[in-house]
Amino acid sequence: MLRRSLFMSTTAAAIAVSAPVAADDTVTVGFVMSFSGWFQPIDASTIRGARLAIEDINAAGGVLGRQIEIVEFDNRSEPALGADGAIEVIDQGAVAILFPSDFDFGAPGAFIAQDAGVISLSSASDPSFGVQGIGSFAYSISNAAQSQGALLAEWAYNEMGWRTAYTLLDTTIAFTNSLCAAFDRRWAELAGQDALLGSDTFRNDDPTISSQVTRISGLSEAPEVIMLCSYAPGGPSAIRQLRAAGLDQPIMTGESMDGDYWIGAVPGLSNFFVVNYGSFVGDDPNPDVNDFFARYAEVFDRQPDVSYGIRGYSLFQAWARAAERAGSFDAEAVAAELDRFENEPLAIGPTTFTPDLHIATTRPMTVMQAQDGAFSALGTFAPETVHLD
Amino acid sequence: MSNLVPVLIDAFSVGGLYALTALGIGLIFSVMRLANFAHAEFVTVPAYALFVLSAQPTVMAISAAVLVAVVLSLATERAAFRPLRGIDPATMLIASFTVSMFLQRLLVFAFDSRLKPVDPLAFLSGSVPLFGVSVNLLKLTTVITCLVLLVALTLFLKYTRFGLEMRAAAEDFTMSRLLGVRANRVIATAFVLSALLAAVVAVLFSAQTGFVQPRFGLQIVIIAFVATVIGGLGNLLGAAVGGFLVGVVATLLQTYLPPDLRPFREAFLFLIVIVVLLFRPQGLFPARGLKERI
Repeated sequence: MLRRSLFMSTTAAAIAVSAPVAADDTVTVGFVMSFSGWFQPIDASTIRGARLAIEDINAAGGVLGRQIEIVEFDNRSEPALGADGAIEVIDQGAVAILFPSDFDFGAPGAFIAQDAGVISLSSASDPSFGVQGIGSFAYSISNAAQSQGALLAEWAYNEMGWRTAYTLLDTTIAFTNSLCAAFDRRWAELAGQDALLGSDTFRNDDPTISSQVTRISGLSEAPEVIMLCSYAPGGPSAIRQLRAAGLDQPIMTGESMDGDYWIGAVPGLSNFFVVNYGSFVGDDPNPDVNDFFARYAEVFDRQPDVSYGIRGYSLFQAWARAAERAGSFDAEAVAAELDRFENEPLAIGPTTFTPDLHIATTRPMTVMQAQDGAFSALGTFAPETVHLD
Repeated sequence: MSNLVPVLIDAFSVGGLYALTALGIGLIFSVMRLANFAHAEFVTVPAYALFVLSAQPTVMAISAAVLVAVVLSLATERAAFRPLRGIDPATMLIASFTVSMFLQRLLVFAFDSRLKPVDPLAFLSGSVPLFGVSVNLLKLTTVITCLVLLVALTLFLKYTRFGLEMRAAAEDFTMSRLLGVRANRVIATAFVLSALLAAVVAVLFSAQTGFVQPRFGLQIVIIAFVATVIGGLGNLLGAAVGGFLVGVVATLLQTYLPPDLRPFREAFLFLIVIVVLLFRPQGLFPARGLKERI
């Protein structure tokens, strides 16, 4: 996979060198992503999804009659290099840039793009990747972490009928902090202040969470559900340790633990629930999502193991649609059209942007469950009340 | 009492792993003054061996992991550290960083950076009753293995010829060479012992986490380095005690700190480290032969 991306980036670079100024019949977009390093597996599916979208758009005649060309820059999983990457791809004529799926990784390049009048596209699940944090040209296709926390609280209370919860928060990254904070707040609103039996924290690289596990085991009343705000590898390891201690209650989490690539770390995992952007195992309630992942598997010759691909696809779907409506690639004009999206039907679902908010808050997400070590979709749910502050 | 047993088992199982790791670092430091940062990969690489051989019987996978650790450690010594022997410790430290990064990149290249599942001790997933509470078998095994290994290592160092040579080399390398201790042999012994300890840590730690990834060993080795410094660089008893203390204190802090302060557990841990070093700059058990050698 690594070698293939290296090969692809070399070819793309070669194309870019031979045609530094985009010809009239093409338009250039940049991928300033982690093509190598530890963040690479996180960005890989988003990149594939974006490629698929561009392939589809080009096959249908391009945007404003122009074929889309991709120029790539590998930030080698170093956030700061994103700024160099943005400068480089803008020099090569990029009018929109795909940045990594995390605010810290995407922001350095997105600031440059904002100053240069170029649209930034990301799957960062942080409202900061937008008007307030970056500027008017930055858009995230994701559901904000706050939306996911609220969704899980409402789903647990309304759909599953659980009445007591415990939150276990991995404090390492911003996403998980926002996720658990939103869950706690919404849970207290729904189930009451006393319905949260406790909370504890750990760091993703903690070698063990044994004292956290022992604390939960020692509670006088066992919580009906554990809200775990973490990501791989620390998250799966935490689940393994909880299960090893005989804590078999349902565990819920947000998109940061989407995917089945880590499930081998917890053999026979059951009673695990995660929200994501669509079932990648072919049983999503929305047939379009199933078609998307079937095509993804066919084109890239690999089974999708996370739902992130659909975000990369939807980002360029959104950008191309806005550019068509604007009749221009100018960032001001494209942004004005994007800001008019109201439940715009994209692959990822109905998407709304406003001049103040460039991330989804009330769009439905798919709740996936793992039972006996296998994932399946439970249904799609949308949060009713989301607090962004 | 019933509340204390799980806490103590937690503390000792964590402390035990740190102690074994700190000892692995301390063994090499004591004979050649090398702070071997590549010890992290001495832990990571055998854990990958467990992943590759996960379909094989447990005994075979673990034996292979141990073998891989020993071969890697000896190869590293021969290729990277032997040519630098006698050069100042700072250069060797940088060399060990280089080895560490090289091996990490190699693992990313070979396996990508996603976590890979491992479960070398699946049969230990149950619990047993102990002092009226149920105790996780894996944790109990970790504590017992660490104790057994500490005793075995002590006996080895005290009562065997290799042990005597190592202790002599740790005390005064030049003098021990003059008295007939072979430098290559004693250093190789240290690397083999260090690798054995690393392989045991790899098995126990991966059984607990359930996965391996390229930065797997780093998590534990960074803390173990702190432990060796607290214990007294170059002193093996110090390394073991330092490892235990850091693990126990970290666990107790996580258990007894109020919730608002728990995210700052590391800050408290390192505050304690600073206080210890203020009063005992050479660590709790200063090595006797801390003058220039080799």
